[in-house]
Amino acid sequence: MTKPGAKELKAVTEVAGIPMDANVAERIANSIGPAFEGFAAISGTLPFDLEPASFLLAQALEAGK
Amino acid sequence: MSGEPALMSLVEVAAAIATRRLSSHEVTRAVLHRIAQWQPRLNAFTEIEAEAALKAADEADAALDKGNRSGPLHGVPLAHKDMYYDAGKVVTCGSAIRRDFVATSTSTALQRLKDAGTIRLGSLQMAEFAYGPTGHNAHYGPVHNPFALDHITGGSSSGSGSAVAARLTFAALGSDTGGSIRMPAHFCGVTGLKTTYGRVSRAGAMPLSQSLDTVGPLAQTAEDCALLLRLMAGPDAEDPTASHAPVPDYMAATRASLKGLKIGVPSNFYVDDLDKDVARILDETIATLRREGAEIVQVELPDQRQLSAACQLLLAVEAAAFHKRWLIERPQDYGPQVLMRLQNGLAIPGVTYLETMRWRGPALAAHVAATSKVDAVIAPVAPMPAPTIAESDVGSSSGAEAVIQRITRFTRPINYLGLPSLAIPSGFTKTGLPVGMQLIGRSFDEATVLGVGAAFQRATDFHQKVPTLA
Repeated sequence: MTKPGAKELKAVTEVAGIPMDANVAERIANSIGPAFEGFAAISGTLPFDLEPASFLLAQALEAGK
Repeated sequence: MSGEPALMSLVEVAAAIATRRLSSHEVTRAVLHRIAQWQPRLNAFTEIEAEAALKAADEADAALDKGNRSGPLHGVPLAHKDMYYDAGKVVTCGSAIRRDFVATSTSTALQRLKDAGTIRLGSLQMAEFAYGPTGHNAHYGPVHNPFALDHITGGSSSGSGSAVAARLTFAALGSDTGGSIRMPAHFCGVTGLKTTYGRVSRAGAMPLSQSLDTVGPLAQTAEDCALLLRLMAGPDAEDPTASHAPVPDYMAATRASLKGLKIGVPSNFYVDDLDKDVARILDETIATLRREGAEIVQVELPDQRQLSAACQLLLAVEAAAFHKRWLIERPQDYGPQVLMRLQNGLAIPGVTYLETMRWRGPALAAHVAATSKVDAVIAPVAPMPAPTIAESDVGSSSGAEAVIQRITRFTRPINYLGLPSLAIPSGFTKTGLPVGMQLIGRSFDEATVLGVGAAFQRATDFHQKVPTLA
């Protein structure tokens, strides 16, 4: 996973209906960059049939122990 | 036990009113007296309802005269973070946007405390829309730490931490999405319980991130938190995410001994890059727990940086989604820092967001496997004590962003995993600033961390230290 740059972010936020200046896009890119990098090792590696609801299942399993 | 009503713990004062050793009026007047002294220095309250509180106290006393006790907190005056809807009351959520918002319903957590007999003192300051870890607020000013007025309280439950520490309320509701109960508890020297995701209904509590938000108390002691959790926990028709898991007798759990319990100490991440005082206090806390009978073992946890990153991405997207309408219509009405944090969420692709949601199950399973041989894990709440208000102000200090990243390091992973965590006052720095440790438990096992916290508090007196007016 590559962190988005200011140019991509400007396009994404325009599509989201909240256009912003280039300098704001640059600031956002810098701000969220570390979170993207931190999650990069996980992104794109998850098994096909993994449901988001597996969290509730894991929680219930742990509580039942 | 303190002889001064305002300095009593929640459990003590509730018993004193129930047995008529003190009237609700005497207690409420004593607390209002402290509020009048401290509020100009702390800025902990957004609203003080002195007259209404005294009237409600008189009514509570009259009811007791007739033998009518509404519940275990009959006549106890409390104030809460200003994000819990209370029908007919203004709930600002720490924002300008909701400066005049009047709630039309009452949050389930608050209603359950009212049903137990509590009296409303007013409402407590918070970070704007609960989206900030320091206690700064662009609209209402920063909340001050009662142990050192030029230092932060931590956030977002800034008023709750400050007011409980200064004994301006016997307890307060906070909320914890990325550390917002545990950080003020740590920085202000009080006890704070982040509950398991789903343990307490979120109905009528201002949302920030529906997958991470948790409701919990800040109070003097683990016993106080146990009493409050017992009253608030359980299913709720208004919140389908509120769990049906059985609600145990948390008060009974606080009387347990530590003998036979195993407490894990992480071998990495939570012990890295600690300030000297925090490292010393962690060692001392471990030594106390061992002395009280717990077995201490090392645990190797999965990569916490990945959990923290996933938490940040998830939180940013969900917060931006809640705020999107106002981001379009009223961006000028946000404080600059909160606006920037909300804008971050717009930039995260939907697929990345869903990956963070899909990974939560395996991440929790990996944590459970890594901690299967222990009953709880102990770790610092933050690697440092409270920084000053100036050095953590993003608007005026160039190093503030780094300070903020540092103070939130140890709390976010726990929110991502949805686990309970009890922050307990554990010592003081050489300069007199409080330091807290967090006891991280298993899902829905608040009882164990409350039990460990209570045993620690029977052996120490850090939670009894009251700040003094300069």
